[in-house]
Amino acid sequence: MRGKIAVIGVGMIRFGELFDKSLENMVQEAYLNCLNNVDKGIDPKEIKAAWFGQWSGGFIGQGTQSGQSLASFIGNREIPVTRIENACPTGGDTFRHACLGVASGLYDVVLALGAEKMRDKPSAESLGGAGSGGGAETGSHPAWMIGHGGPSIQAMHATRQMYELGYTMEDFARVAVKNHHNGMFCPYAHYQFEITLERVLSSYVVCWPLHLLDCCPQTDGAAAVIVCRADLAKRYTDNPVYVMASNVGVDHSQLWDRDSFVEQLATVRAAKGAFEMAGIKPGEVDFAEVHDCFTNTELMNIEDIGFVRKGEAARMLKDGEFDLHGRLPINPSGGLKAHGHPIAATGLGQIFEVVTQLREEAGQRQVKLKKGIGLQHNVGGPAFGVSVVNILSRTV
Amino acid sequence: MTQPAPASPLFWRFNPEVYRLIGIKCKDCGHISYPRTKICHECGSLNLEEYKLPKKGTVHTYCVNWTPPPTFEPPITPVIIDLEGGGRYQGLMTETSTPEDVKVGSKVEMVLRKVTTDRGLNVYGYKFRLVEEE
Ligand SMILES: [Zn+2]
Repeated sequence: MRGKIAVIGVGMIRFGELFDKSLENMVQEAYLNCLNNVDKGIDPKEIKAAWFGQWSGGFIGQGTQSGQSLASFIGNREIPVTRIENACPTGGDTFRHACLGVASGLYDVVLALGAEKMRDKPSAESLGGAGSGGGAETGSHPAWMIGHGGPSIQAMHATRQMYELGYTMEDFARVAVKNHHNGMFCPYAHYQFEITLERVLSSYVVCWPLHLLDCCPQTDGAAAVIVCRADLAKRYTDNPVYVMASNVGVDHSQLWDRDSFVEQLATVRAAKGAFEMAGIKPGEVDFAEVHDCFTNTELMNIEDIGFVRKGEAARMLKDGEFDLHGRLPINPSGGLKAHGHPIAATGLGQIFEVVTQLREEAGQRQVKLKKGIGLQHNVGGPAFGVSVVNILSRTV
Repeated sequence: MTQPAPASPLFWRFNPEVYRLIGIKCKDCGHISYPRTKICHECGSLNLEEYKLPKKGTVHTYCVNWTPPPTFEPPITPVIIDLEGGGRYQGLMTETSTPEDVKVGSKVEMVLRKVTTDRGLNVYGYKFRLVEEE
């Protein structure tokens, strides 16, 4: 894959509670922003295939979407369009499918677009819908998933991180403080305000040991990326970003089949494969957008990707190593925590951030580039058993 | 909303598992899968035997959920249990006076309890209660 694929345009809308926008409104805005982002211009008819990331439609009562939805929304019914759903990594995996489409040699220019409406339903119903997507009605053991959702599953990991690694609720809260700080500088972030450690720790206990401000919000949003053959990229832009690797990793889909609760093997596998594909080591990455759906999850991800050894992330976070201007900035966009988590748009929003950083167009939140390599990561599913890692670079 | 109805095919289909705790054990890698399956989730082997889960174990991890689904009275305490002799079971604690009674490593046993109600009907399943150290 390395050397074959370039990103020539990225576009998104500000994530948030977008009661004034429908799924179609969001898709069209992200799509038009993406077309306009191709600096030498592109005729939409040059896009020869598209993948539509859409996770929740059927779960929260907005109708199951498919490829035809995206085709209609963008007024292009002459090309193949496929819907991708792969839990929280839906957006990152939608990007991967676009890359595979180009790498296959079938298409020169393709579109990856993800969009999610999560706020039209009241919070409990929206979260509950996500819970049923998480296994309660999907044929797994009927009693086991009762009472579960994202927060309780990650809280059970957090308990074990405290027990095995000596992590504390303060360690988790520091992730929220860092990511809210970064989000202040991102015009696309759902939350653009600072929070203090005290405020996180005095917020409502949603699911001990996690507080309300340890959890990412339910968010509406859309994001799009145009991918093309690397050798054609300069036709569209003077500033292409290249794809070094794109990989998915999986693990058991039921929590009780898994062994460790301080490590998510899906991430380990996605990252290991991606680094092999890219031919680089984790230490060569300048910055990363990782899946901080909960604060404890970010610490786990940093370790599972291989940036640091298991049990080291909390101390390094405290030392400022993952800050915007630290040794390895993590989540310069504000992460899911501040930037928001409109599931199928999340991963593509992270790709938007990685591309923006690699082009050095991120303004106040610009990180220092050394090798010019950035990484994007998602993990999710009923037992957090599916993960995606994409690695992008400034040079071919 | 997110819970299967008591009369749903899901409960009928999984009756042996839910109430008689029938799972499988892999003769090749030793992994215990539950509900029963024809292919070992861990290694892909077809060399499996039926295995009745024990009712005793220890708490591997837990949390205290103050925002459970609407039919639950908060807080509830979801747990992952290391069963005696291997395998894990995911469930809820019951009969704790305070959630602070539950710790990693606490000894527990399964008891049949009402798990929730759905459209006026009771849903039964196993929950865990703390047992005294022997
Ligand atoms: Zn096996």
